[in-house]
Amino acid sequence: MNNTRTHTRSVMSQLLTRSLGKAVLWIFLIAAALLALFPIIMVVLGSFKTNQELTGSATIWPSSWHFSNYLEAWKNANFSRYTLNSIFVSVVTTVGTLLVASMSAYAVNRVSFIGKKAYSLLMASTLFISIGAVVLRPQFDLMVMLGLNKTLWGVIIILISAHATCYFILIGFFQSIPRDLDEAAMIDGCNFYSVYLRIILPLLRPALAVAGLGAFQGSWNEYILPLVFTMSNPQLQTLPVGLANLRYGIGAASEVQLMMAGACLSILPLLVVYVFANKSFMQVTLGAVKG
Amino acid sequence: MKQKKIHAYVFVFPSLFLTLVFGIYPLLWALRYMFYDYQGFGTPVFIGLDNFGRVMRDHQFWSAVGNTGIYALGKLVVTIPMSLLLAIILNRKMKGRSFLRAIYYLPTIFSASVMAIVFFIIFNSYNGILNQLLIRFHIINEPIGWLSADHAMMTTIIIAIWGAVGNYMLLFLAGLQGIPNDLYEAASLDGANEFQKLKNVTIPLLGPVMQMIIMLAITISLKGYESIMVLTEGGPYGKTEVMYLYLFKLLFPVSAEAQSIQQLGYGSAVGFTTAVIVGGVTLVYFRISKKLNDVY
Repeated sequence: MNNTRTHTRSVMSQLLTRSLGKAVLWIFLIAAALLALFPIIMVVLGSFKTNQELTGSATIWPSSWHFSNYLEAWKNANFSRYTLNSIFVSVVTTVGTLLVASMSAYAVNRVSFIGKKAYSLLMASTLFISIGAVVLRPQFDLMVMLGLNKTLWGVIIILISAHATCYFILIGFFQSIPRDLDEAAMIDGCNFYSVYLRIILPLLRPALAVAGLGAFQGSWNEYILPLVFTMSNPQLQTLPVGLANLRYGIGAASEVQLMMAGACLSILPLLVVYVFANKSFMQVTLGAVKG
Repeated sequence: MKQKKIHAYVFVFPSLFLTLVFGIYPLLWALRYMFYDYQGFGTPVFIGLDNFGRVMRDHQFWSAVGNTGIYALGKLVVTIPMSLLLAIILNRKMKGRSFLRAIYYLPTIFSASVMAIVFFIIFNSYNGILNQLLIRFHIINEPIGWLSADHAMMTTIIIAIWGAVGNYMLLFLAGLQGIPNDLYEAASLDGANEFQKLKNVTIPLLGPVMQMIIMLAITISLKGYESIMVLTEGGPYGKTEVMYLYLFKLLFPVSAEAQSIQQLGYGSAVGFTTAVIVGGVTLVYFRISKKLNDVY
């Protein structure tokens, strides 16, 4: 009788420590999640608040919703221009990067030619050597020479030139496309170029989606390069540059709600894509590291 | 066959051309001008190693190097254990696993500069959101100067951690998935508890992957300066000036407090020195961690 009682008690205490451990674990996980989300929640909710509410009263939920912040940011604070510039730069960069990287990955994976090793080494080395902002100066001089320093094409070309990450993501996927397919297509009358267009590109689509997402994310978020190239051309500024300038602007303190709305505009596209395709974002990181 | 090789060169050419012109040429440019006195106009004057002598005597640069060390160390000391812990927890079968992973990874997808603006609004000591909330819930009475000389470095580190944990969690998760399940089952049969499994199976087998991840984390944290540039511009009083930010200011003097003349020759020498420092730190870490791995 006594024995069973102690036994029940020990089972009870075991259950108790277990559920206690589970509770601690979940408190930790939820706290970490709240910390991760806090700034994002604050910027999304803050973009609907008035300036007074943002700077004066400690609320989390807006007391009234001011959609007019977006209208004001869009019209008066030049965010329509910044957004269009950002879209232009990111879309062209993504397409260009995918094209350049997929072409060379195709050639390197399918043909053996002299200098292939050296080329691969060159691509890898660009990922590791960094002398920081120093490279921006000769890059800028080159664009002045080409007459592209007063357009966004200068920024785009330099962003495309940094396609090594995309190249390594793509070449990792190439192994999964059997060579027999190329050969069969060749027998059916395809040449090197039509195999690329009709066989490789369609089969590479999942990899292109992942690498393209990475290229888009990178160019959409890029700050230093467009900052340097648009210092004397405010009309060419992208969202991160235009937004960061508000911080230094005269009377920046009085425009917190505009900064919030602008920040929201710039994180919203990525946030929306992320809700539907967060696994693809993670694949970008993993693919880039494995390469 | 020969024709195919020509096609291949045609396809590699755009990539090779862009890499050489915009990736390699700027490196050679810097390698040349680091021996010159050149400020963006006039004729560059060859001065040999004088720029490097100046680097050695440049207190501002070396204090920036020190700040970079504090910044990187502070970031890594929290980020690596935290992301490893989250990865280990989320590697087990549990409810809401992929949902939580998505939440923890979310901060990594945004622009560092845009998030720095958001954090500026949050941490602003005068009317920032955080101080308002802390005062409202009676956690503090006086606003904390998050961006003051005393706390600015800590604040930049907090922001860096916020943006990094999800990234390394994901890399650790990928590493953990490479450990065969049999080993855990065998350990269970031998009567090992969760902690023992962690100590005797997970950590030793994760070793090589962990070494690579930490090396990546070191180089990334030594190179980061975007968010600091937007948040504090290296201030107040140079307390948050990291070396790549100092370098940026030499080449593109934007702020009133920086020297107003472009220092292209000297900047190249500083750029070369920072690259050597990053490479050196990485190499030292690689050597030490390899020895540690051998001991295990």
